[in-house]
Amino acid sequence: MFSIPRHITRSQLLAILLTGAMVLIVFRLFYLQIIQHEYYVALATDEQVKRLEIPANRGMIYAMDGDNPVPLVMNQQVYTLFADPTVVDEPKKVDEAVRSVAGGNLVVEDVLSKITDKSSQYKVLAKNVTLRQAELIKEKKLKGIGFQRVSQRVYPEGEMAAQTLGFVNYEGKGQYGVEQELNDRLTGKDGLLKSVTDVANVPLSIGKDNIREEPVDGDSVVLTIDRNIQAKAQETLLAGLQRSGATHGSVLVMDPNNGDVLALADFPTYNPSDFTTVTDEKVFRNVATTEPYEPGSVLKTFTIAAGLDRNAIEPDSTFYNTDSIQVNDRTITNALKGVTGTVTMQTALDNSLNTGMVTIAQRLGDGKEITRGARDTMYDYFHNRLGLGERTGVQIANEQPGILISPDDVQGNAVRYSNMAFGQGLDVTMMQVAAGFSAIVNGGTYYSPTVVAGHMDGSQLVREQHAKEKKGVISAEASAQAKEMIHQARTGYTSTDLPGYYVGGKTGTSQTLQDGEYISTQTVGTYLGFGGDDSQSKYVIMVQVSGENMNLEGNKHAMPIFTDLSNWLLGYYQLQPRA
Amino acid sequence: MSYTRTAQYAGRRQQSWGRNQNTTRFVSPVKLGPVMHTIIVALMILVLGLIYLTQASGSAAYDYQASEIDQKINELATKKADLEVENARLSALETVRNSDVAKAMTQPQSTQYVR
Repeated sequence: MFSIPRHITRSQLLAILLTGAMVLIVFRLFYLQIIQHEYYVALATDEQVKRLEIPANRGMIYAMDGDNPVPLVMNQQVYTLFADPTVVDEPKKVDEAVRSVAGGNLVVEDVLSKITDKSSQYKVLAKNVTLRQAELIKEKKLKGIGFQRVSQRVYPEGEMAAQTLGFVNYEGKGQYGVEQELNDRLTGKDGLLKSVTDVANVPLSIGKDNIREEPVDGDSVVLTIDRNIQAKAQETLLAGLQRSGATHGSVLVMDPNNGDVLALADFPTYNPSDFTTVTDEKVFRNVATTEPYEPGSVLKTFTIAAGLDRNAIEPDSTFYNTDSIQVNDRTITNALKGVTGTVTMQTALDNSLNTGMVTIAQRLGDGKEITRGARDTMYDYFHNRLGLGERTGVQIANEQPGILISPDDVQGNAVRYSNMAFGQGLDVTMMQVAAGFSAIVNGGTYYSPTVVAGHMDGSQLVREQHAKEKKGVISAEASAQAKEMIHQARTGYTSTDLPGYYVGGKTGTSQTLQDGEYISTQTVGTYLGFGGDDSQSKYVIMVQVSGENMNLEGNKHAMPIFTDLSNWLLGYYQLQPRA
Repeated sequence: MSYTRTAQYAGRRQQSWGRNQNTTRFVSPVKLGPVMHTIIVALMILVLGLIYLTQASGSAAYDYQASEIDQKINELATKKADLEVENARLSALETVRNSDVAKAMTQPQSTQYVR
């Protein structure tokens, strides 16, 4: 048994015990504060310091209205209104308040039954509720009602330029169009707030390691799209499709003097704010950049330009037309027959004679055959100079390069190039064709097309130079001659243009391929033209119409759309007719 | 080492003592022992601690004010964005086209050009 030595007094014993206890406490404190220091600091930091993300605003997207930017895509903070039925104590009042303030935003028909059903604690009652509506409901101080804030894209112009814009999915990522292509630029960089907070997550400045990094909002991009031209393009396209019965159509309007895309209209279309209701993914695609096709006879303007620039032909050069021409083992015939005998190249263009274009291809070689040299020359003009068969670099997602077979390829033979001379045997996009055609009619400078005019700095537009230019892809003289030939080709065809202006164009009706064979039951109608005054072309328009199992023609179904839009554009640009 | 005051200096000091200074040493009758000293030091530490806490809570109060202002700024920014959206909707082409003013417009019969 433990016994206390006699010489130790009780007070000494107490002192020893206390000292012992103190030593234990000191050791324990040493362990907690020195040995376990890092662990407890981390634990405390986790508890007290919050990392709050400050979301950056996604950049807006503007279009032009003349010289002024106008918003096409904006951001809006909206709220999702939800109820917790287990907390709601006055269901009738809640029903009345929600219906009166946010009746148009309800996502449920019977609010009362939803908020009395206590099987779930989270019932969404309304979506896209505005701040004002949320405030009005909050003022009623209803129990069991909550709001969840979300940022969403809004489109004041509705469906306008939907396939050019694209949309933003629920993860905040741009899909299709400019939204996808310029996603990084539009997204910005989220900020960070690392701070000691109280229980209500209010940041306090008492911490020594507080961090506040301000968010960097995404760039607000200004498109070259002119909303007036875009709206008119959509309107004329829709009217044209209703006249023809075609189910699909696209219109591209470009400024030939700088490569600015002024309008890109597609039908069928959709409203980007309701992208979830779209059932066919094809509706999202921008046809002019993502769907290469055989454009048909509109490409005869390219062959004419190459022939003129190489001095292989003049507008009044002649050839003997028999409505067919032999290329190796193939016989190429004209769609329009009867314009036979000695005819000029102008007549060949006016009547869209395939034989004339094959003749030009031959004259680019030895005059008799489409030699390797002739094919190299055609490839040089079509691909290297005028940009067919490669991506243009326009800032729209999923742009396709198309297919233009090189003479180096085994398929790049004389038959292939004879077909290419009148727009078959190659797959190109409307964007490529319009950009190349712009170079033909603007004096010979190729501008890579662009849909981005610049960005906003506050309320000011800062212009950006995106378009690459290649000067002298054809000579100014060849350009003037080609332009006049295209003008003659149109004026000989139609008298629907406003008098006193300089308008030209070429039709195209192309067969479609099914399982590698051309079918006769489905054709695509195309029209490609320019317009302006005598001094300068102000616009290039390309129209395409199509429909399943429909024979649509360039002159009957696409050209009227061009004419309507062209006549309107002459007025829009306030061009004066020659006296 | 000898030290000699000048007559002039000694006279001034004596005059000053006479007018402003106690000439006797004050001795307090209250004696503070070590316990009292400890208590006073503890009290001083307590007061200093209270001053620190007051300052710290004062700074936290500023944090709450700042937080409220931040919230207000966010609300106003949201309202501004809402108004901008509303403005854009009201000036959208479709809205303008359907306005009474636009509907009342007519096509010009002829156009004259100034040359």
